[in-house]
Amino acid sequence: MIARIYSSCVLGVNACEVTVEADIGGGLPAFNIVGLPDTAIRESRDRIKAAIKNSGFSFPAKKVTINLAPADIKKEGATFDLPIALSILLCEGTIEHPDLKEYIFSGELSLDGRLKPVKGILPIALGMAAMEKTKFVLPTQNAREASAVKEIEVYPVQTLKDVVNFINGKIDIKRQPSTSDQLLKTNSKYKNDFSDVKGQEHVKRGLEVAAAGGHNVLLIGPPGSGKSMLAKRLPTILSEMTLEESLETSKIHSVAGLMLSNKVLVATRPFRSPHHTISDAALVGGGTNPSPGEISLSHNGVLFLDELPEFKKNVLEVLRQPMEEGAVTIARVAGTHTYPAKFMLVAAMNPCPCGYFTDPKRQCHCSPIQIQNYLSRISGPLLDRIDIHLEVPRLKLEHLTDKRRGEPSVEIRKRVDKARGLQKMRYGNLGIHFNAHLESSDMEKHCMLDKESEELLKLAILELGISARAYDKLLKVSRTIADLDGKDIIEAHHISEAISYRSLDRNLWG
Amino acid sequence: MGREKREIGMLGERIALEFLQNKGYKIKCKNFRTPFGELDIVARHKSTLVFIEVKTRSTSSFGPPILSVTRIKQIHIIKNALFYLKRYGRIDADWRIDVVSVKLGHGLKPEIIEHIENAVEDIM
Repeated sequence: MIARIYSSCVLGVNACEVTVEADIGGGLPAFNIVGLPDTAIRESRDRIKAAIKNSGFSFPAKKVTINLAPADIKKEGATFDLPIALSILLCEGTIEHPDLKEYIFSGELSLDGRLKPVKGILPIALGMAAMEKTKFVLPTQNAREASAVKEIEVYPVQTLKDVVNFINGKIDIKRQPSTSDQLLKTNSKYKNDFSDVKGQEHVKRGLEVAAAGGHNVLLIGPPGSGKSMLAKRLPTILSEMTLEESLETSKIHSVAGLMLSNKVLVATRPFRSPHHTISDAALVGGGTNPSPGEISLSHNGVLFLDELPEFKKNVLEVLRQPMEEGAVTIARVAGTHTYPAKFMLVAAMNPCPCGYFTDPKRQCHCSPIQIQNYLSRISGPLLDRIDIHLEVPRLKLEHLTDKRRGEPSVEIRKRVDKARGLQKMRYGNLGIHFNAHLESSDMEKHCMLDKESEELLKLAILELGISARAYDKLLKVSRTIADLDGKDIIEAHHISEAISYRSLDRNLWG
Repeated sequence: MGREKREIGMLGERIALEFLQNKGYKIKCKNFRTPFGELDIVARHKSTLVFIEVKTRSTSSFGPPILSVTRIKQIHIIKNALFYLKRYGRIDADWRIDVVSVKLGHGLKPEIIEHIENAVEDIM
C-alpha cells in the first residue's frame, strides 16, 4: 500500500507543494528516502525512527521507501520530518484517516517525538491557497507566524502523538485564531522619532523629500553630526505598511529564519544597516543554498550603508542591478531564486578620510589626492542612482542645549502620505509608484515648469556645470518638492530647493 | 579453528536454538551451508523469515559479542540469506536478520542471552 501526505518546501520566497509518498514492502528492513533530499533530510531517518518509537508506535521492520515528489526539486531542511513520519504511520495503518488531501504538515521532530519550529512557515501559509489546501498542521512555536494568513486553518501541535490522535479524531486541537489585521496595528510602532533630533532642519526636510518621492539619499558630514541617527528615523516618516507589503517583507524574513523569536509580522518598515565589511553574497543574497541578503531583508524599507566609501568596491557594484529592477536573481547549483528587493538606499559618508573637510571649526589634514581617492571609491553609476545628496553639518552649541523637541514623525508622515497620494493619482497605471522611478521620456509630460523656473534651471546648468544626467535628477526631485507643496506645475523655489540637494554636483570637493 | 572454540560455538548455537523456540520461533533449518558461508539458524516468526547469526563468547575480554558482527560479516550474512531465499523461491517474503549473542559463564553455563531483532539493515 502507498500512503500520501502533503507538505511544502520554499523555493526562493515562494512555496512549492511536495507530496510525501511512503511504500512499505517485503525484503530486508531498510529505510530509504528518494527525491533529491539534502543531508538534513537524509539524516532525518534516524530522527524519525527514534521519534516514532518514543511516541509509543512501532517502526515497521520492513523495507520502507519514501519519495518526495516532484523529484526534480532539491528539498532541504528538517520540515519534512513530520510528514515523513506520518506517511509511514499512515502506510502501517496506525493512522486510519486516509483522506488528508486538505492538509499540509510541517515540522522537525526531536528524538522524543516533540515538534520543533522550522523556518519558512509564512511563505507556505501564503502559498496554500494556490495548492488548494486549507488546513495547516505545524509546531506550536510557528503557529503565530502562520496565523497572519486569514484564509487557512492553523492547527498548532506539540508532539507526533498529538498529531496522530488529532487525525484519528481522538483529541481536538484548538485552531490558532487569525490575527493579521490586529497584528499590523499593534506592532506598527517605531522606537525612534524625528522629534529626538535637534536642529538639522535642512537635513530633515531633505529626508522628507526623499521619503515622499522614493529618492535614494546620500548623507555627507563630519563624524558625530548625527548621520546615522537621522537615517535610523527615516522609516518612521515613510507611509505605513499595507498588509500586502507587510506579508511580502515578512515572507523574506521568514525564509531567512528571522521570524522564530516570536515575531509574527514585520509591521514596521525594515531598517537594515549592514557593517561595511559585508561580502557581496551577504548583501544581495547567495550561499550554496541561496538565502536572501540584506537588500531583500530591507524590501519595502530602508537599506542604510554607513561609511559608504569603506565598503568593498565589488560589493557596491552588485547593488546597481537590483536597485534598477527592484528584485535580485541569484543562480547557484542548488537552484535559481528571485528575491524581491525594493528598498530606499540611504548612504552616509565623511567628506574626506579624516572627516573634517567641511567642518568650519576643525582643521582637515587630508591632501587633495587623499580626498580624491576617497571620493572615487564610489563609482559614478552608483552615484547616479542617488538623487539627493545632503550635507549634514556639525551641530551648533545652541541646538545641542535646546530643550525644545523637533517636529514628531507623525506630522511629517502626514505630508509624505499626501505627496505619495498625488503621485499615485498621476501615475495610476503606468507601473510607476514614485517620482524617483520616472523615465526621461515621461518627464516632459509630468514635470511641467513655469517660465521663472525654466530660467532658473537654465542658469543652474550654465553656472553650476550640471550634467545632463544630473538635470534629470534635479527635475525629479523638484517634482517631489512640488508634490509636497501640492502644486501641479514646478515653480522656481522648488527648483532652487532641489539644487541645494545636489551638493556633489556643485563640485565642493577635490 | 581450535577444537575448543568450535565446541563453544556449537554450544552457543544450541542454547540460542532453545531460547528462540521458547520465544515462539519455528525453526526451519540449522547450519544451512551456502557457497559464501553458513547461516546459523533459519526460523519463522509470525509471517517473517528470520535469519539468525549466533555469537558466543566465554570471556568478555574482547568486548560484547555483537561487536564482532562487522560490516563485512553483515554483507556475508545478507548474501547467505539471499541465496536461501532464491533457493526456496521466497524472494518476495518479509525477512530480517537477527543476532543472538550468548555469553558463557563458569562451567560454560549461559550467563546472558541477548536477542537483537533486525540487527542488520540493508547496506548493499
